[in-house]
Amino acid sequence: MNLNKSWKRSISACCLAPLMVSVVVGCGTSAQQGGTTAAGQPYTITIMSDSFSPDHTDPKSNPVIQALDKYTNTDIQIQWVPNSSYADKINITLASGSLPMVMLITDKTSSFVNAAKSGAFWDLTPYLKDYPNLSKANPIVLNNSSIDGKVYGIYRSRPLGRNAIVYRKDWLQNVGLSEPKTINDFYNMLVAFKTKDPNKDGKGGTYGMVVSKYAGPFDIMQTWFGVPNKWGQDKDGKLIPAQFTPQYLDALKFFRKLYQEKLINQDFAVFDSTKWNDPVVNKQAGVMIDVADRANVLLKTDPNMKLGIIGAIAGPNGLKSPATSGYAGFYAIPKESVKTESDVKKVLAFLDKLNDKQAQDLLWNGVEGINYTVQNGAAVATKQSDPDTNSLTQLEMSIPSELYTKAAQTDTSKLVDQVEQANEKIVVPNPAEPLLSNTYAQKGTQLDNILNDARIKYIVGQIDDAGLQASLDLWRKSGGDDYIKEINDAYTKVQQKK
Amino acid sequence: MENVPVQEPVLSTVRPAAKKTIFTKLKRDKWLYLLLFPGALYFLVFKYVPMWGILIAFQDYQPYLGFFGSHWVGVDNFKNFFMNPDFFRLLKNTLILSAYNIFFFFPAPIILALLLNEVRKAVFKKTVQTLIYVPHFMSMVIVASITYVFFTTEGGIVSELVSHLFGRQIDFLTSLTWFRPLIVMQTIWKETGWGTILFLAALAGVDAQLYEAAIVDGAGRWRQLWNITLPSIRSTIVILLILRMGASLDNGFEQIFLMTNALNRQVADVFDTYVYSVGITQGSFSYSTAVGLFKAIVGVVLIFGSNFLARKSGESGIF
Repeated sequence: MNLNKSWKRSISACCLAPLMVSVVVGCGTSAQQGGTTAAGQPYTITIMSDSFSPDHTDPKSNPVIQALDKYTNTDIQIQWVPNSSYADKINITLASGSLPMVMLITDKTSSFVNAAKSGAFWDLTPYLKDYPNLSKANPIVLNNSSIDGKVYGIYRSRPLGRNAIVYRKDWLQNVGLSEPKTINDFYNMLVAFKTKDPNKDGKGGTYGMVVSKYAGPFDIMQTWFGVPNKWGQDKDGKLIPAQFTPQYLDALKFFRKLYQEKLINQDFAVFDSTKWNDPVVNKQAGVMIDVADRANVLLKTDPNMKLGIIGAIAGPNGLKSPATSGYAGFYAIPKESVKTESDVKKVLAFLDKLNDKQAQDLLWNGVEGINYTVQNGAAVATKQSDPDTNSLTQLEMSIPSELYTKAAQTDTSKLVDQVEQANEKIVVPNPAEPLLSNTYAQKGTQLDNILNDARIKYIVGQIDDAGLQASLDLWRKSGGDDYIKEINDAYTKVQQKK
Repeated sequence: MENVPVQEPVLSTVRPAAKKTIFTKLKRDKWLYLLLFPGALYFLVFKYVPMWGILIAFQDYQPYLGFFGSHWVGVDNFKNFFMNPDFFRLLKNTLILSAYNIFFFFPAPIILALLLNEVRKAVFKKTVQTLIYVPHFMSMVIVASITYVFFTTEGGIVSELVSHLFGRQIDFLTSLTWFRPLIVMQTIWKETGWGTILFLAALAGVDAQLYEAAIVDGAGRWRQLWNITLPSIRSTIVILLILRMGASLDNGFEQIFLMTNALNRQVADVFDTYVYSVGITQGSFSYSTAVGLFKAIVGVVLIFGSNFLARKSGESGIF
């Protein structure tokens, strides 16, 4: 090894440089924790939430965040996580130990339930009554979002009767039918959309309804047949899962018929749900079953479309539509990052303030004069997609109600509101919504997979009645039986309390 | 740094006691050791230090309670895993897919390298080489999307072609029988070119005199291939096969995850996707660590096993 001096020096420099860098970086990225500050100074609050858009204005130059900071006397620091990977992010964040002060929890997963039960999050139940907005939260939704009756987070409210059928009204007129009332009418509409050239282009290639690999549409349609919303009651008052009710098979047979007659897209099992709108916009399919406000989204892509919305279709037991849980995730406060009771109260006061009209306006519309203007009492956005407000709407909790200035109502958006209101009268609630099961928390994904896979296989004809039965047995064996027992135990406990 | 003498003159001749030798050796080759240092540190910090984390496989690990607060549950996680009705399905799917890969994918780069080796036009050879490396740099997401576009029943080129030629439509994307061939075809398309690199390097090292001698003896192309080329790269093939065996339980999470759907999950579920769905989406960290540990142990056993067999049959093996 005959190396001259300068060589040696450069080698050692090369070897040491990465070390130095890693040391410096290691020091630099220590978690930013907000919290206690001197009196009068804005209080720093870190938030982790989901986002549907990658496009955000830098918080330092975002007028909306600055206005929010000023309104709440807070220094708000938000970490946006793409919605599609948010569930993974929760578990990773919980495991990492460096938690934000306000954290969106989308589902009561086992890791969150375990963390909450072992005291990782503040039980907010005793505090809520002290805040003007939060005290007026809907008790049913609060109960739905609770764990064993304890509220660990402030929910983001959503309409209970949100599910509906959205269809192309112009197509229905072209094929000379009126709005479907019964399951048979609905079937005839799909047949006409396939065979009667509804888009008047003289060519075929259209089909009735577009379904993606997201199983929601089937959940909605099966309630028409009288299948309960996830859990129903048998004659002894015991809770039984939807798939063990006799109506379930009727519903599945109907879906199978739709598939065999090619009234729904043949590749639905692999069809990506991000492309769900495309066939309707491209005049290939005429019906979509999802949330009613899907119509607003469709109209954004093609404002000239004529859309109709139907809340539900009458089956053997009349009009039925599955109720949503009434919330889309909740904001929980970890003890790790918010240490004292007085800090919790500060954070809650902040969350409470976000529900004031002024803050709701900021979150939904942005700053008046910059992001929107008010014309005839309706908000008019200055840009179609505004990076200032893109994701901030996600922080909208709307407790007790939506107070922000809404955009001018189009015919469709009026219809959406009407359908949602009408639906509230016919919704089928899920009696097990607030109940917890340990087995489900641990094996929920596998159990749901077995069930969903079996349903889809049955629809496309990969399995017959016997095969379906075998899958349901597998579901029971893989933990389903324990799940049913645990839910029923929890249910009786709640009933006894009442 | 400035004061360090360039070389100790003592080293070459005097041999002090054994203990001293280590130090003097260290001192003599200090620059080499310094070069080694970052690499060693990398393995230490990122591979060896985190290894104690596998202990959570024997716990009921709860992030909030942390490592020291969580309960020890012994081998319960392993018991649950082996008693799980999914276990044999996962094992079967994983092993069959690996077998497909070893039988159909593993020989592909060797054959391609041999073909390239026979090419005499240097320009052509170099161009082909560069082009076949390209797919390797594509993300699996893109490969999966391309597959989807080609094979979908709603106007995919391959599906249309098949239904025109054979008069019936095959739904490749949801079919149970086509899932594995599709995965292997993707792998072959993506990785064959890249896989040739090592074999081409081995082929370049074959002594040209051997060929000349063979030609003098009247050997044709096939004889040369069989008696000279293949034996020369045999040890490379064996080493790569041993490494491949060790990874038998790894199927590549991304690819499987992207190609799975409700209709083919029965054959698509493998250990890698299972660890993801149980560990990350359900947050059962301990359980999925146990599954991961099981995979690693099987991998080590397979490496030692195939290495042993290789040595038995007269190859040098990897250790």
